[in-house]
Amino acid sequence: MRTTRRIALAGFGAALLLPLGVGSAFAADGDVNANLTPVALNGAAASGTAMVKVEGTTLTVTMAANGLLADAPHAAHIHFGAEARNECPAASDDADGDGMLTTTEGGPAYGGIVVSLTKTGDTSPASGLAVDRFDTAPGGEIAYQRGSITVEPDVAQAIVDGKSAVVIHGVDHNEDGVYSGDAMSDLDPTLPAEATDPAVCGVLMAAPSGGVAAGTGSTAGTGTSTGVMLLGGGLLAAGAGAGALAARRVRATV
Amino acid sequence: MSDHRRHDGRSRILAAAAVVLAVAGALALVLGLRGGPAEMPTSPPLAASTEGPSDAAGSPPAAAADGSGDRADPVGPGGAARDAAPTAAETAPLPELGPILPASEPVSLTIPAIGVASDTLERLDVGPDGVLPAPTDFALPGWHTRGPNPGQLGPAVIAGHVDGPDGPAVFIRLGELQPGDEVQVGRADGTVATFVIDEVGRYAKADFPTSLVYGNTTDRAEIRLITCGGAFDRSTGHYVDNIVAFGHLVG
Ligand SMILES: [Cu+2]
Repeated sequence: MRTTRRIALAGFGAALLLPLGVGSAFAADGDVNANLTPVALNGAAASGTAMVKVEGTTLTVTMAANGLLADAPHAAHIHFGAEARNECPAASDDADGDGMLTTTEGGPAYGGIVVSLTKTGDTSPASGLAVDRFDTAPGGEIAYQRGSITVEPDVAQAIVDGKSAVVIHGVDHNEDGVYSGDAMSDLDPTLPAEATDPAVCGVLMAAPSGGVAAGTGSTAGTGTSTGVMLLGGGLLAAGAGAGALAARRVRATV
Repeated sequence: MSDHRRHDGRSRILAAAAVVLAVAGALALVLGLRGGPAEMPTSPPLAASTEGPSDAAGSPPAAAADGSGDRADPVGPGGAARDAAPTAAETAPLPELGPILPASEPVSLTIPAIGVASDTLERLDVGPDGVLPAPTDFALPGWHTRGPNPGQLGPAVIAGHVDGPDGPAVFIRLGELQPGDEVQVGRADGTVATFVIDEVGRYAKADFPTSLVYGNTTDRAEIRLITCGGAFDRSTGHYVDNIVAFGHLVG
C-alpha cells in the first residue's frame, strides 16, 4: 500500500497549500454534477443524478438513482480516460453489433475506472468489481454518499475539468429480475454480462460560471427587490456544507 | 478500457459462491438499516449527513492502508465479506437524502405567494462560455438543462427575468418570497414537485456564489430560483446583483 501512503501525503500537501491560494498541480477545486440517463441499447428504465465536490485531491460523492434492477449489486464508478471521448457511449459504440453495450465497448466513450464508488473500504480502480461493497439498490433505488475519497492529482483535475463520467452498472436485458443469461461478462467470465453491463451514465460537468443576466432595468429603482440583503459570494464559496450555510446565515444578519 | 481489463487478473476473487454470500449479507444489512421510506430530516441535513459517511467510511480503510505495510487483498472473497458486514453497519450509514423523484423535465411553475403561474418553461442550455443564459421570453421562466430536473437530487435551477422592455417580468416579485412559501413544479411525467423556500439571498454578480447556487452543497433535492436585483448599471445594461431563492423538496 505504498501508493496509498504517497497519495495521502500528496493530499496533505494540497490541503496545506490551498488556504494560501498557492497554485499547484495538486490544487483542483470545484463542483461537478451529472444527470444519469439510460445507456444506449441497454434498456434500463433508470435515472439519477450524481454530484462530486473536488477539494484538492479529495472527493465527496453524493448520488441518487432509481429504476435499477432491485436487490442486485450495482458496481458504480467514476470513469475517465485521457484518450477517451469523455462522454457516455452511443449505439455506435456497439463494436460487436449484438445490440447491447458492454462496459468494454463503452471504454472509448468514458475511459477506464478511476474511482470505485464502494460503500466501504478501498475506492481505487482495484475495487471496480468488489460487488459485495456496492449498493444493492433495494426497490431499485440507490442513495449514496461518501467523502474522503482520495485520487491522483491528474484524476482530480480531469473531474474538475468536466472530463469524467459516473457509470452505474448492472442491467436486466431479459427482464427476469436477476442477473442471468448465457452471455458472460467481458470483465469477469464468472459473472453474467448483465451484472456488469452499464445501466446509466452521466458526464460530470462543471457548474455554470457566474450569475444570470435577467433584467433590462425597466423597473429599476422601484424598490421591488431592495428588501433582500446583499450577500457576499467569495467567502461562501470557500466554505462547504454546514459551514457555508452557517456563514450565509451570519452574514445575512449583519 | 485498460482499467477494466486489469480486473481480469482479479477475477479469481469473484468466485460465484463468494458473490452470492456477500450479496446476501449486504442485502440483509441494507434491509435492516433501511426500514421504511426515507423521511425528511428534522434538523438541517447539511450538518447531519455530510459529516457522518465521509469521516466514518473513509477513516478505517485509510488507517489500515497507512498503518500496515502489507495489507491483505482488500477485495478478497472471505476477507471482504467478513470485513464489510461489521464495518458497514458502524461506519457507512445510508445517507439521508430525503424525498427524491425520478428524472422528468419541468413543464410548469406555480408560486402562489408571488403570483407566478406559468404553464411553459424555456430550456436554458449553458453556452460554450459556461454561462447560464436567461430566458428569451420575459414572461417565461426557464430551467437549467444541465442541472438536475426539479425533484432529483441536487440543486435544480429555474431562472426568470425581473423586468423586460415593457416593465415587470415573470420574477419581478422573487425578492418577496419568504421562508415557508411553496413552489410547485409540474413535470412531464404528470407529477408535481413541491418545494418549500428556505431563504432568499441577494448576491453581487461579480461575486456570485457559484458553488452555493449550482454546486454539490446539498444532500437532498433542492431548487434555486434566480433573477436580477439590486442597482441597475446603465453603463452595462445589467443589474449588478442576482437574487436567489433557495428551497427544498417536500414531496
Ligand atoms: Cu464502471
